[in-house]
Amino acid sequence: MRAAAAPPAVTRETFRVFGTTATLLLSGSAAMPAARELADAELAAVDLACSRFRADSELTRVNSAGGAATDISPLLATLIGEALRAARLTAGDVDPTCAAALAALGYDRDFDEVKARATRGSRGKTASAASTGRGLDAPAGRVPGWRKVELSTDPPRVTLTGGAQLDLGATAKAWAADRCAEVIAAQLGCAVLVSLGGDIAVAGEAPAGGWRVRVTDDHAAGPDAPGQTVAINAGGLATSSTTVRAWESHGRKLHHIIDPATGKPARSIWRTVSVAAGRALDANIVSTACIVRGASAVGWLTEMNLPARLVREDGTTVTTAGWPDDPAPATAKPS
Amino acid sequence: MRRDRAGSAIAARDAGLRRVTRLTWQVAAAGAVCSALIAAAFGHGTSQQSASQRGASQTQTGSTGQTPRSGHQHHGKHRGSGLVIPSQPPAPAPGAGQVTSGGS
Repeated sequence: MRAAAAPPAVTRETFRVFGTTATLLLSGSAAMPAARELADAELAAVDLACSRFRADSELTRVNSAGGAATDISPLLATLIGEALRAARLTAGDVDPTCAAALAALGYDRDFDEVKARATRGSRGKTASAASTGRGLDAPAGRVPGWRKVELSTDPPRVTLTGGAQLDLGATAKAWAADRCAEVIAAQLGCAVLVSLGGDIAVAGEAPAGGWRVRVTDDHAAGPDAPGQTVAINAGGLATSSTTVRAWESHGRKLHHIIDPATGKPARSIWRTVSVAAGRALDANIVSTACIVRGASAVGWLTEMNLPARLVREDGTTVTTAGWPDDPAPATAKPS
Repeated sequence: MRRDRAGSAIAARDAGLRRVTRLTWQVAAAGAVCSALIAAAFGHGTSQQSASQRGASQTQTGSTGQTPRSGHQHHGKHRGSGLVIPSQPPAPAPGAGQVTSGGS
């Protein structure tokens, strides 16, 4: 009697990128160093193109062009194009022109620095009021809107009108996860899972039983954190939450998901939304839009037949379109 | 004499009724034509507006151009919404995850 063949080993690598945690999982004999090299090259290119916090990024140049047309790389044109697509598909609920609103709330630098500054402020040390989010008390108003962005791709060029400033945080990370998974699977001929801060893309033939993903409030929580484990074989899965990338300013809790209609953090009935889609990018577009949409998100997801798990503030959950029933809904809210 | 007067009165009444009936039909027909014209005009206006909005979007998003990195593989189906739905929903899985998806 012959022993059953052992399933291919899964190798893992975790590292920091874009101010968050990245994880690569490879199935089979593919060499992790080669996969990491491919991922690093893609991620470095994306960061240089669209970081809002790097003085040398293309996006910084675009945002400081004062409304003048700016020649850009094909990569940044693609990223801006995807952000505009997100806005179109969500009727403007996911809008890339929220950079000024985020900056007014104090999110004007790498998030680790934002949190550190907020902590210093809460201890009563000196911190500029303008730079720690006093903007929350100001009548922020609607963001300029994605229609103020004029993009052409031949040649790649963008013009921001009406005072628009771009933040591609809602789409670029998930796009990069899709891109890395696609490149690694194609070049190394293996199955791969790429997670960038919880935006997950998979490519290649998944291991038997699929890739097991724990959906929870915080991507940095452990693999058995309160939540639910599901398996995916293809496409992407993403989670948006108001509980992470959140900070406190002048006694008020802020988070990074902006409601374009108010220019302020979305006040949602959902604290966390996870969505599965054909790619991580689309999953993340929808999960972000659901936070902004609130109660009407369930009908929207059902209409589009997109599987999702939505967690209310009290921890109770709603699932849509074939998402597995939640056996033990989490009720603990992260502090 | 009296019978003649009565007869002409009846004839006048019948002629008046015919005129009223004809007028009613003409008004109804004119109303139907106007309704059709208005419907066509509004319908045309709506489709023109949508088309112009779509055109504006294309200009704004520059979706007519080619970019080298835009050809992602999609593991799912496009819906009318333009979002790619997964080829199958997530399956239940026991135990802990290999990786975690949460806010970041």
